[in-house]
Parts: sequence; C-alpha cells; structure tokens
Amino acid sequence: MKTPQSDARPPRWAEAILRMLLRPHDRETVSGDLLEEYRDTIVPTRGRAADLWYIRQVAWYLLRASWMWGTLMGAALVIRYLLDTLVPPADYKIRATVLSWTLLGVCVLAGFVTTWRTRSMRAGVLASSTAATLGALVSIVGTAMMLAVWHDPATLVEWQRSGGVEEALIDVPLKVVAFGIAMGIAGAALGKGTSRVTSRG
Amino acid sequence: MAEVLGTFEQAVLLEVLRLRDEAYGRAILKAVQERLERELAAGAVHATLERLEGKGLLSSRLGPGTDIRAGRARRFYRVQPAGIRALNDARRTFNNIWRGVKWPVTALESL
Repeated sequence: MKTPQSDARPPRWAEAILRMLLRPHDRETVSGDLLEEYRDTIVPTRGRAADLWYIRQVAWYLLRASWMWGTLMGAALVIRYLLDTLVPPADYKIRATVLSWTLLGVCVLAGFVTTWRTRSMRAGVLASSTAATLGALVSIVGTAMMLAVWHDPATLVEWQRSGGVEEALIDVPLKVVAFGIAMGIAGAALGKGTSRVTSRG
Repeated sequence: MAEVLGTFEQAVLLEVLRLRDEAYGRAILKAVQERLERELAAGAVHATLERLEGKGLLSSRLGPGTDIRAGRARRFYRVQPAGIRALNDARRTFNNIWRGVKWPVTALESL
C-alpha cells in the first residue's frame, strides 16, 4: 500500500545537485539511499522540515568536493596579506603574480579533479565556484583578524601601499569568486576531455 | 600487518557484519546511527564505505531497487578477509591499551 510519504519528493534542484556530485558508480545507489531515508524516516518524523534535512545532506557532498581547495585558496590569500603586513616588499608585483598563479592552479585543479571523478562538467564548475567562495570567506575573516591585531599607523600605511583595506575585504574576494567560476570552467573542460580520452583507451 | 582502522571505520565494518545479507547503504546508515546514538550525515557513511572498499576490506554488489527509492538500485556490502583481520587487530590493540585499568576510570585507584 502506498502512503503519502512514499510519494514525497525532495527539492528537485537539490536532488539534481546531489546526482551531479556523485561518481557514476554511486549515482543510483547513493541517491536511492537518501530518497529512501527521506521518505521512510525523515518525512514521517519531521514533516515540512524534511526538505531542510535533504538540503543539508547535499551540502555535505558539496563541501566534501570543495573544502580542501577553498582552504588552500583562503590560506594563500591570508599568507600573502600576512607577508605584506610583516615583511613589506619594495615591489608587490612578484607576490601578486605568485598569488594569482596559485589561485589559478587551485581553481583549475578543483574543476579538473571533480569533473574527472564525477564525469560531470557542471559538478566541476560548481566545486570550483564553491571553493572560491570558501576561499574568499576565509580571506575576509583572516584579513579582519589581522587588522584587529595590527592596526598601528605604520601598518595601515603599508596596507594602503599594497592596495588598501577595501581591496582586501571586498575587491579581492569578489574577483576570487569570478576567477573561481572562470578557471573552474577551464579545469572542468580539461577533466571532461581527459576522461573521454582515457575511457576510449 | 592489517589496516589500522579508525573508530568510525570499525563501527561501519561491524554493522556490515551484523547486517549480513541486508547490508546496503541506508540500512548501514541507520544501524550506525543507532549504535553511536547520534545523527550522522549520510555522506559520512557513504564516504567510509567507499574508502573501506578501496582498501579491499569490503566488497560490493548491486541489488534491485524498491518502490520507496523510486526503483534505484541498492549496493550491498560484504566484509572481506582483510576486513576481518583489520577488525581483530583493532580489538587486540584496544584490549592492550585498556589492560590493567578498571572501568569506569575515576582516578589513580583505577590502576
């Protein structure tokens, strides 16, 4: 006999993201496990809040695919600001170039690895954009903490020389997210191409 | 030497053993949650199953789906001999660590 909860459906967008983030090997089985738990246990006990449970489960998979890359990006940004504050150079160009290439590499890798694993370009772009957003958040928090510790006039002058507080708290995080999407697309395309070539071989 | 298992890995492997022919993802998730008395992210259990299978401690096969899961297949797991060895090693280590200590530990008089 069918019960009302046996027809209940989690949000379609959340289910689509989940399936996108799973390896082809797990796509049916893992999404089936979550759907069964949602219908059999969560909907009867939590009612309308069941959708929130499902979204939290999907967020876990998204964070799993992106937290490491996001932490790397955030760490690279914070280290750069820390060096600029404690060991200000005569010319910031070299450090800016090193940071840009590091962020580029991490975004491309995030897109590449996730696409390779899931065989989904959209998953690669999503993981890279999420990683960049996490990196931007880590950078904002790290920068704010540094400013709370070092805010003497001499340090603030150095901050101004390296681009200013507004750049560190607003411009750079926004650019990092845009960068994450663009480089994620490049990495995902590379991952898709490589997986096609290797699956043919 | 067998694999060194973390506590969560031991919990998952033991539930796969206990569930026998019914050890598929959702059943394992429910069993581990009941055993540890806390809610877990389904992804944490799936990631552990994937890792244990990668290490050769578990094997899996596909089984038929049911209506409640929209006909989607179930992946059934089975503990391999390497998994049994790893569990026995983990238990031996645990017993060695606790040997000579009265439980529950209160203070020096437990020794």
